[in-house]
Amino acid sequence: MMRSKEGVALLAGLGILFAAAGVLAHGGATGIVKQRMDHMETVGDAMKTLTAMMRGKLDYDAAEVRSLAGTIADHGGESLTELFPEGSLDKPTEALPAIWQDWDRFTDLARQLTDYATALVDAAGNDRPPVGSSGAMSGQGMMMGETPAGPSVEHLSRMPPDAAFQHMAQVCAACHQDFRKEK
Amino acid sequence: MVALAVALVGGGGLAVWVVGAPDAPERDLTGLVGTVERGAYVARLAGCIACHTDVKAGGAVLAGGAEIKTDFGRFFAPNITPDPEDGIGGWSLNDFSRALTAGLAPDGQHYFPSFPYAFYSRLTDRDIVDLWAAVQSVPAVSGGPPAHDLRFPFGVRSGVGLWKRLFFEPGRLEPIEGRSESWNRGRYLARGPAHCGACHTPRNLLGGRETGRRYAGAVGPGAEKIPPITPDALAAEGWAADDIVYALRSGIMPDGDVFGGAMAEVVRDGTRFWSDADLAALVEYILNPESQE
Repeated sequence: MMRSKEGVALLAGLGILFAAAGVLAHGGATGIVKQRMDHMETVGDAMKTLTAMMRGKLDYDAAEVRSLAGTIADHGGESLTELFPEGSLDKPTEALPAIWQDWDRFTDLARQLTDYATALVDAAGNDRPPVGSSGAMSGQGMMMGETPAGPSVEHLSRMPPDAAFQHMAQVCAACHQDFRKEK
Repeated sequence: MVALAVALVGGGGLAVWVVGAPDAPERDLTGLVGTVERGAYVARLAGCIACHTDVKAGGAVLAGGAEIKTDFGRFFAPNITPDPEDGIGGWSLNDFSRALTAGLAPDGQHYFPSFPYAFYSRLTDRDIVDLWAAVQSVPAVSGGPPAHDLRFPFGVRSGVGLWKRLFFEPGRLEPIEGRSESWNRGRYLARGPAHCGACHTPRNLLGGRETGRRYAGAVGPGAEKIPPITPDALAAEGWAADDIVYALRSGIMPDGDVFGGAMAEVVRDGTRFWSDADLAALVEYILNPESQE
């Protein structure tokens, strides 16, 4: 009996611990802030698996890449920007006020995320570069130039999935650079 | 802060000491001819383009950067295109070398340490002449950003002489014997052109790097949290060598998140252009640096 009581206590303790961890993960976010943090977490989870596949840490599975890229595409564009009503900066948000100062750029990047993720859906079955090739951007005659605008969706969908994936991630980075507070 | 204020109001001999920065050895670059292509690569190693180009505003390459907000005021990386009036078209190779390695303008004025000459002072002669060739190869553009706008007393240029006395150790980084060539290359990249410590090493109130706590993490402009990149800190976060290489190549972290903030720019304009060998060398060093004095 003693044993089972201890077991119950232990389970209850763990339950509290897990509940607390859940709160901590999004730091007690509520309402729209919580909604968009969860939204971003879905994208993050898809990115985590895609990253592992692109890096050879998981077996590459084109169908799975299509599915995950599709999830990301669904989470870009308006479905993303509608979660950012002006001034919604309640803690623990990581959003920066710059979002509403440069709303056009923010929406452009959100739309580009959907476009590029859709291109990755199309590129998922393309030939992949040999293992160990670098993906370095050097030798493209633009070393002393500005970073060119991203490739077209059409161009992207013909690239190896690894390259399409990296271009998509650059959209994430461009948006985070200006609009996400670094923790 | 106090030291600087005292130095600024103190006169006489102190002023001479303040104004006279440590002697940076002059480079003898006679006979060296740079190549544009290699210099462009050095520019990617050194972050020149990231800082001196206002990418978001669609500014021309090296025609001047976006505002950098700091605790000391607002800095603007100047136009360094070959425009003779607004750029550095009137400079000689020696002027260029002195700017990089001694933090001195052609007229002898000190540059503020927002220009990371404390790191560029480590550049090899060859990297300097190649970089000069590349910088001269971009189109000349007139105009440029405004002058720095700094809070008193930080805007007083002679105060920078004191700063240099306290914190600037000019000169090359000699290779450490008994370490591999790639390790030494990585050390050169980190502590020279790539100037990792400019952000990742904490600074004191006067903006001097606490070199005993190299790469221990810091708070950047705009209260941006800059993470530590010591071997212990990286191991605690689960970063292995190939994780770091991939992140510097792509901006993508092992958990699928991407770098934001200043590191996004470092990757976009810098490390994604690096050779595989240089990325590997950098990571070899970062994961196993020399012990700190």
